[in-house]
Amino acid sequence: MMWSALTDGTRRFLGGNGDWSGAAREAAQCVGFLEDVEDELVADETRSCYNCRYRRWTESSFICLRPGG
Amino acid sequence: MTVFVCIDDTDSLESRGTGELAGLLALEVEKRGWGRCGSITRHQLFVHPDIPYTSHNSSMCFNVSMPEEHLGALTEFAADFLAGESAEGSDPGLCIAASERMRQPDLLVEFGYRAKRAVIEMKDAFELASETGVHLSCHGGTGQGVIGALAGVGLRLGGNDGRMRGSLEIPAVDGVARVKELLEHPEVDAVRTMEGASPDLEDRVRLVDKVKTVLLGGKLVLLVTADNDPDGVVRWRSCTRQQLKAY
Repeated sequence: MMWSALTDGTRRFLGGNGDWSGAAREAAQCVGFLEDVEDELVADETRSCYNCRYRRWTESSFICLRPGG
Repeated sequence: MTVFVCIDDTDSLESRGTGELAGLLALEVEKRGWGRCGSITRHQLFVHPDIPYTSHNSSMCFNVSMPEEHLGALTEFAADFLAGESAEGSDPGLCIAASERMRQPDLLVEFGYRAKRAVIEMKDAFELASETGVHLSCHGGTGQGVIGALAGVGLRLGGNDGRMRGSLEIPAVDGVARVKELLEHPEVDAVRTMEGASPDLEDRVRLVDKVKTVLLGGKLVLLVTADNDPDGVVRWRSCTRQQLKAY
């Protein structure tokens, strides 16, 4: 389980901000992945939660803001 | 004179990014013959629940070499541009700092680094802008973007933060170029390894992914890392997105 559900209905990625393979795996299964603008891509694997427009970075990880996520 | 233009918080989850807007603004400045624009750099700011932002919280800054007589027109145009082009629901901020009118630039640099690790209030940004003689303005929403815009100028002035927006187009044979050829690019001031060493001018570098520079020591530096070429002909490779994430 890679996510922790938050009280506002969003979810936090449990892999932190350096689990490159985990973030790619999650994005591969996600129907709502939306690639961010090029300036904000950080993962080498393009399809990665770390490159998704819906990720909202936190100090240690990110929260997924995908509608219905 | 050198003028630094920085914008922040112009986007929404559905809109084009702040970097694209900075690029369009730079194009308009050149089209009007006000000056020549340099590279756009992206500066990562603090991510914290108390700071509203879309998905990253970064600002975009570029420098313009221009005669002082066009500064007023540029400022007016940039303000209108931001008000008209920013996404609905965004909180755009604009900072314009002219090197010859700026006072105590060290304070701006310090502010930039503070904005990378702490929550700052808008009034602090306006007070510092007034103290240092730089233009700072809101152009919609809460105007919260002024904090990042001012911080972006400070970080750019400091010369040790940020990576370039977009990527370099470098002539290469089979994706490989010599260090001396990389240095011929107008937007590459230096080539360095991640450890800070300077490769030989004749060394070959494999260009992978999008080739970007980072701002280090006031220079646009193309970072390289050891290549695993089995023949040993290509000694280095350009850094990937993941390797540049920290900049």
